[in-house]
Amino acid sequence: MTKFSKESDLLAPVARFVKRRGFCLQTAELPFYEYRIDLYGFSRKNDATVAIELKLNNWKRALEQTMLYQLCADLVYIAMPESSARRVDKSELEANGIGLIAVRESGSCTFVLVAKHHDEIHQPYRLSQINYLKETACA
Amino acid sequence: MPELRPTVILRMGSHSEKEYIEKTLKHFDGLMVGANLLQISPGATASLLLKLHKACKRPYFVDPMTYAFGSYFDPETGRVRDDLDWIKSEQKVPGKKGVTERKFKSSYRKLANYFGEPFSTALDRGKALTQADFSNDHVVDEACRTIIKFQAERLREVFKEDPQTASYANDLPRPGAVFAPYFYIEPNRAKHWLSLNNRLALRTTEQSKDIPVHVVVCGHMDLLTNAEHSALVVDNLLACKPAGVWLWFSRFDERVANKEQLLALRWWVEKLTTEMSVFNMHGGFFSLALSKFGMAGTMHGVGYGEQKDVVPVIGQSTPTVQYYLRSLHSRHSVLQIQRCFTQLGIKTPEDFFLKICDCAICSHIVGAGLNEFSQFGEIHYSTPKSKRAAQTPAAAKRCRYHFLLNRILERDYVEKSSLPEIADQCSRSADIWSKTVIGPASAHAKLWAEVLNSNL
Repeated sequence: MTKFSKESDLLAPVARFVKRRGFCLQTAELPFYEYRIDLYGFSRKNDATVAIELKLNNWKRALEQTMLYQLCADLVYIAMPESSARRVDKSELEANGIGLIAVRESGSCTFVLVAKHHDEIHQPYRLSQINYLKETACA
Repeated sequence: MPELRPTVILRMGSHSEKEYIEKTLKHFDGLMVGANLLQISPGATASLLLKLHKACKRPYFVDPMTYAFGSYFDPETGRVRDDLDWIKSEQKVPGKKGVTERKFKSSYRKLANYFGEPFSTALDRGKALTQADFSNDHVVDEACRTIIKFQAERLREVFKEDPQTASYANDLPRPGAVFAPYFYIEPNRAKHWLSLNNRLALRTTEQSKDIPVHVVVCGHMDLLTNAEHSALVVDNLLACKPAGVWLWFSRFDERVANKEQLLALRWWVEKLTTEMSVFNMHGGFFSLALSKFGMAGTMHGVGYGEQKDVVPVIGQSTPTVQYYLRSLHSRHSVLQIQRCFTQLGIKTPEDFFLKICDCAICSHIVGAGLNEFSQFGEIHYSTPKSKRAAQTPAAAKRCRYHFLLNRILERDYVEKSSLPEIADQCSRSADIWSKTVIGPASAHAKLWAEVLNSNL
């Protein structure tokens, strides 16, 4: 039995984890057409964006969503409780450049699979999301 | 098997769709309006139908919507509902600010008043009609007479009521057919409802001498594959011999149906087509393809309605109008389509026109740059208080026009293509798109190919 009972329980540990990797400008629940990206971040230093889908179990659904998030983010991850992350077919994620973050009960996180830069990025979407982040950070 | 020219009837759900109808009806084969729409806005509806008649002379039909006064099997609760709640709405109480009460919608109240007993009685008692309400043959006779009159005469009555339009009343055309009153064949009492619908169909065909009679078979999706009940309905129809039949299996969706259900729909068409015109009340490309087996046509709305539940979904926000992908004959989000560009080798607008769509709408939008495709999915916050972004009206409009233009292309494609060519197109498209993010949603096209090719 995991201590994570809802997806939002994963948000704080994952946000801290990616912040330490330079994605300091962050927002949760970022609207992207009919979707809402659970966590979206921007690293000024690396000029890179990251989109993360938090899921307790259903990694296949997460894969469908994250493949669409590649249109607006340089790096895309699925974050899951460590016990669920073990059951993910990593080859499917790897084939699509999607990364995987395991969240331990202690709140610490680890990369199970590192996301790759990909060719699906749609610059107008990416820039629009970065601008949104900057505006909300200034507000 | 009798191969027919496929036809598409557009259904107008509300007057907000008038613009689409006015601009495109000349490319389609007819128009359906619901009796509730005609009754709530009689002048506007009559004027529009006259204008359309003068412009393009397409037949129109009035769906009498009698099923709305019957009972319904609620799949959510597994219970039969007879509270008529689906034709009620929250309405302001005059003089009491902020207070509402749940009352019958004005359109259905007016419709019931026109139809008379037992429809008006059902509303007065707040309980759906049952077969017992029609136990007397005189009631059946009167109901059929009134409902034929409504469909055949209501437009002219509306014009005659207004001195300014009275002299034009006879310019209004008669409908292409009149529908017999019909009720949802609720599965728990299927035989009773089948019997009542058959009586209503028989009396209507006897009464309507000038205008062809069409019958609606409106039932639970299980009716489609229920051998005993299917045979009974088919036998009744063959004995009744209406000019046409419209099949409406509640919640049946060509794109999610299994092989048994798709084969069953084909079976219904083949059984009936030699004796009457067979239409799918809510269908899409698969129904058009069934014209190769004798389906006369299909109907849908201007941007939705290729499947419909008998009871409308209440209380949901306006759904996003998604982009119609002609090669798969299904709708997908703008993001899903865009995510396929790389995999399909779409790098320029020309690639897009070749591999996805070159209709007038897409040519205009994507012609300005591939990135402009996102215009089909534009979102905004409709009010400052909106919590969720929704599709802009302009984006929804683009998607609707794109869909309508594609539907015309699909109909014409089916007409000029052979059955093996259509099946092959479905199969090849499924193969191509199965390698993309849309993959899981392309399986229907493979199944359609199988059903169209199969020997029953």
